[in-house]
Amino acid sequence: MLDSLKDIIRKSSIHVCLINTGGCNGCDIEVVALLSPRYDLEQYGIYVHNNPREADVILVTGAVTEQWREKLQRIYAKAPEPKIVVAIGNCPLSGDVFNQEGSSVYAPVSDFIPVDAEISGCPPRPSEILAAILGVGPDAIAAKGRQKQ
Amino acid sequence: MILPIGPIHPGLKEPLRLKLKTRGEKVLSAEIDYGYVHRGIERVMKNKTWQKGIFLSERVCGICSYIHTQTFAETFEKIAGERAPLRAQYLRVLTNELDRIQSHLLANSTYFKVLEHETLFMYMLSLREPVMDAIELLTGNRVNMGWNVVGGVRMDAEEKHLQSIMKIMNELEEQYDKYVEMFEHGPLLGLRSHDVGRMSRDDAIKARAVGPIGRASGLKHDLREFHHTYRDNFDFKVIWRKEGDNFARTMNRFDEITQSISLIKQVINNLPEGKVRKKIDIPAGYGDWRNEAPRGEVSYMIETNGNLIRNVSIRTPSIMNIDACAKYMLHDVATVADAVATYASVDPCIACTERVVILDESGKNREFQGIHDINIK
Repeated sequence: MLDSLKDIIRKSSIHVCLINTGGCNGCDIEVVALLSPRYDLEQYGIYVHNNPREADVILVTGAVTEQWREKLQRIYAKAPEPKIVVAIGNCPLSGDVFNQEGSSVYAPVSDFIPVDAEISGCPPRPSEILAAILGVGPDAIAAKGRQKQ
Repeated sequence: MILPIGPIHPGLKEPLRLKLKTRGEKVLSAEIDYGYVHRGIERVMKNKTWQKGIFLSERVCGICSYIHTQTFAETFEKIAGERAPLRAQYLRVLTNELDRIQSHLLANSTYFKVLEHETLFMYMLSLREPVMDAIELLTGNRVNMGWNVVGGVRMDAEEKHLQSIMKIMNELEEQYDKYVEMFEHGPLLGLRSHDVGRMSRDDAIKARAVGPIGRASGLKHDLREFHHTYRDNFDFKVIWRKEGDNFARTMNRFDEITQSISLIKQVINNLPEGKVRKKIDIPAGYGDWRNEAPRGEVSYMIETNGNLIRNVSIRTPSIMNIDACAKYMLHDVATVADAVATYASVDPCIACTERVVILDESGKNREFQGIHDINIK
C-alpha cells in the first residue's frame, strides 16, 4: 500500500533540473516558454527549479563541452534515485552542427550518463518537450522506484 | 568570504559562475568565470562555404539567432559590393524587430523572476507567446529560423500573414502599457530597482558597454541609426536614459519594444513589391559589418577566397556587458539578492560570449586544430 501511495505522489510532483551542457540557448528558452501561461507546465505538477539535489527529471540541452565532461557526471550522481534523463534537441543526440572536426564538443550525452528519452529538433517545440516529460516522466519514475525496492 | 553562484543555480538560465566577495550580506566585488559552453564555432566555420557557415552563425546564440545570420549575410554582401533587394531589406527589418521584442520581453521576465515577482514574470511570458507566433508565421520556425541567405531572404511573406502580424502588434500595443505601468509606478518593484547596480556614463565608456545597458547609462549609441535600411526608409528614434541603474535598464528595454512595434507597422504599411532574393557572386576579399542585436552591437569580420571562408571573427555584445556588470555594477552592492538582480538586469547571454585564445609560453597566439589535440592541465 505504501508503494502505491508513493507511486501516486511521485506521479504528481515532478521536479526538473535544466542543464545546458553547451548548446546555443535555443532549447533553454523553449523550456522557459513552457512556464508561460499558454503551456503552463505547473498544472501537470512539474516544477522547474534547477536544483540537482531534489530533481526527479534532468533535462540536458546541448552537446557536451570540455568543462562539462566530469561535471555532468557529478551532477547526475547528486540527483536522488529514482531519476530520469531527458535529452532535448539535436545537440545531446548527435552534436548537431557543432560535431565537426576541430570543435570542442564530445557528443552524444549518452556516452556520459544514461539517457531515458530523446527529443530531436533544433529546437523542438515546447509542446513536444512537454509531451516527452509527461510521456516518460511519471511512469518511469514510479517504475524505477519500484525496481530499487 | 567568497560566495560562489552557479554554474547550475535556480537564478541562472545559463551555466556561468559568479564569485561574489562578501562581508556579511554586503557584496564588495565580483568575479565571473566563463568557459562552460565553448564549442569552437569560429574554428569550425573556417574552410566552409557560406551555405554551411550561415547555419553555424545562427547557432552562436539561440535568443538573438536572427541578427547573427543577417550580419553574416550582409558581410558577404559588402565583400561583393551589392545589396539585397529592397523588399528583402524590409523583411529583414521586420524579422529583426520581432526578434528584438521577444528577446527584450524574455530579458525583462527573467529580471522579474529574479526579483521574485511571479505575476509580472507570467505576464511578460504571456505577452511573448503571440510574438513567437508572429515569427513562426513569417519564417516557419520559432527560434532558429533559417531565414536569411546571402542576397536576400529565403522566401516571400504572404499578405494574409502580414495582416495577422499587424493584428498581433495591435493587440500587444493595447495590453502593453498596463504592465509597464505596473513596473514603472509599482512601489515594491521600484524600491528593489531604483539606485541599485548603478553605472555612470564614464564607467560605461571605460567598460565598452553596448546596447540597452550602455544606453541606460547615457551612451546615446544605436547602430540602427547608421544602417542603410533604417536610415533611408524608416522613422526611428534612439531610446536612451541617464540613470544607469536596474530600473533604467529595464525601462529602456520596455521603451525599445514600443519603438520596435512602430517600426514593424511602418514595414507592413510600406512594404515594396519585388523579388526577395538575388544571386550574388562573391569575390575573394575581406569584409566586416556591424549590426544592432537586441543586446547591443554584434560584428563579423570575414576573410574569404571567393568560395570558402578563410578566417572569421565574431564579436558579440554580451562579453562587454557582462564584464561591465562584474567590474562596475557589482561593486559595493547592499545585498546578495540585489547583486543577482543586477546580474539579471544586464540580460547576459553566455552562449554568445565563449571565446578561447591560446597563448604559448612566449605570449604569442598559437594556431590550434581543435580542442581534442591539446592537453588542458
